[in-house]
Amino acid sequence: MSTAEPLLEVEDLTTTFSTDDGELMAVDGIDFSVDSGETVCIVGESGSGKTVATESITRIVKSPPGHVEGSVRFKGQDLLEMSEPELRDIRGYEIAHIFQNPQEAMNHCYTVGWQIMEALQIHRDVSNEEARAKAVDLLDKVGIANASSRFDDHPHEFSGGQKQRVMIAMALVGDPDLLIADEPTTALDVTVQAQILRLLDDLQEEFDMGILFVTHDLGVVAEIADRIIVMYAGKVMERGGVLDIFDHPAHPYTQQLLNCLPDIGGNTGGIPGKLPDPHDPPDGCRFAARCDHTIDACRTGQQPEEVEVNPGQKASCVYYRPAHDDSVIRDGIQNTEPDTTEVGSADD
Amino acid sequence: MGLGRYITARVAWAAVVSLIIVTITFVLLAAAPNPSIREAATQAALQGGDPAAAAERERELRGLNEPLHVRYLDFLQSVYTLDWGWSQHRSQPVTEALWEGLYYTAQYSIPWTILTVILGPIVGVYSAANMYSWKDHAATGFAFFGYAIPNFFFGIILLLIFGVWLDVIPVVYDTSVPLFSLDNVIQLIIPVFVLVTGSIGATMRVSRNESAEFQNSDFMKTAKAKGVSPLRAYAYHVMRPTLVPLSTTLVGQLLALFLGSSLLVEVVFGIPGLGRLTFDALVAQDTNLVLGATLVFTFIAVVGNLVEDLVFTILDPRISYDDR
Repeated sequence: MSTAEPLLEVEDLTTTFSTDDGELMAVDGIDFSVDSGETVCIVGESGSGKTVATESITRIVKSPPGHVEGSVRFKGQDLLEMSEPELRDIRGYEIAHIFQNPQEAMNHCYTVGWQIMEALQIHRDVSNEEARAKAVDLLDKVGIANASSRFDDHPHEFSGGQKQRVMIAMALVGDPDLLIADEPTTALDVTVQAQILRLLDDLQEEFDMGILFVTHDLGVVAEIADRIIVMYAGKVMERGGVLDIFDHPAHPYTQQLLNCLPDIGGNTGGIPGKLPDPHDPPDGCRFAARCDHTIDACRTGQQPEEVEVNPGQKASCVYYRPAHDDSVIRDGIQNTEPDTTEVGSADD
Repeated sequence: MGLGRYITARVAWAAVVSLIIVTITFVLLAAAPNPSIREAATQAALQGGDPAAAAERERELRGLNEPLHVRYLDFLQSVYTLDWGWSQHRSQPVTEALWEGLYYTAQYSIPWTILTVILGPIVGVYSAANMYSWKDHAATGFAFFGYAIPNFFFGIILLLIFGVWLDVIPVVYDTSVPLFSLDNVIQLIIPVFVLVTGSIGATMRVSRNESAEFQNSDFMKTAKAKGVSPLRAYAYHVMRPTLVPLSTTLVGQLLALFLGSSLLVEVVFGIPGLGRLTFDALVAQDTNLVLGATLVFTFIAVVGNLVEDLVFTILDPRISYDDR
């Protein structure tokens, strides 16, 4: 991680929704940053607030009922301070999005070429010929064969993987600094998924983009991530470099997530229990109700402060206390051996 | 592209449909007793002549003694050459009478159709964009009011208010007013308004419900993430897909109103259009004119459905026209 200001720096991001049942806190005060050329993965199970967190960055989250607070600094400007028109200039040009379901992500009434040109022409005053040339160029770049003849085809004439390629082409019209990819491969089969991931990797190198990648698939994470942020019920549970997290996960939630991977833990049954009610989150750690290590301290106060358990790796768990705190309960939890009491956090 | 072939096939099919309708009309007419023969027989009997001979003479005069297939071909030729006979009750050729009726019907039908086609989807999409707010409820309430209240009754009430009490519009339609004049606009405002409130309800409801689905779609999120402004997003990404299902209901709705309500509205406002013409012809048992008016209405329906089919395939590119 560089010492200069990161490309994107999110602080205390909180997104609430007004619903008939009261306020729903989908994202509850999270921090993270993304640098140019780096891939940061947000992982967590469905409903943990990953998507809302990324859609809050450019405020494309539906509002009302959504309400975004905190600070989102992008290249030195606070996006949350910006007016809608100012933000529209950034959306799709400097910060681009691709989404989970390429089947539905394009308007079925227009040709793919029209939709790529639209993305370009709402931002820059370019002629139709120039826009068309650029769009064909981008389609070619993302691996659509015969790009200029496919330009006038409609989305339904493309396969799922090709549609996601077109979506990526659309995202690249402004040479974006940041690409937010929200489960872009979840709806695709495994071979196509691998192709798309490789494409994103190549494009990242070429465009020097930061990528914020949301997924619940840890296999995908292992392939592309530089750093990982583990979210649960709107809070960050753990964060760190990809190798640190996979080698010695510190938070019990991360450990249980990794245990669900077939070739690591082999726990195919998943984690028992379900997410807490977002209208009324419990005191203490959000994960306490489903954790194997819960003690009384887990159920009081706030979500524990994030503590550095290794250089660059932080966990939010009462088992890891800040250095200045003397009341150490235990020195951490080691994966797969939940009852060990004396082990340090990092040796395997 | 198969689009050209598809259009050709559809137009040919519409021609076949119109031929079938004309044939059915002919069969019904041939099977029904002809009032003029009965009348000739009655006349002869009253004047002391031979009713049977008079009936035979009348039949010969009208070409009814020819074989059926000759009469059929003759009938077809007349229909397609617009030789639709003589209107006894109006003492002029049927086509001329119909043209006169159409002239007045078009004066309120064209603005009414245009207003419905433009305002209906706009109000519907606006309503969907503000769903469950007071704006939506106001628009929905207006739509249901227009949909529920009978056109002729609403017309009478408005005539009473604006024509009798406030005295700002003429109570009876004045045919001597020039076509493009303020007076003509004033006397057509209320009939057009009544018809628009009747037709906009269905259009607005369909576009509201259809666009509600599209405004929460993934491609709207994509549009927003691309930096598209809300106005442009609604105009391009919601309105366009909404028009596809709307076009199927719109033509049917307009035709139903055109054929049904326009008659009542013409009677209420005293407009001598096609509806009134047909009604008067029915009352006067003027067979040729009734037949002519029926053919006009069926041709309008056939053409309306043809246009609907063509618009549908042009609006929704996913519809394949290759193997039809």
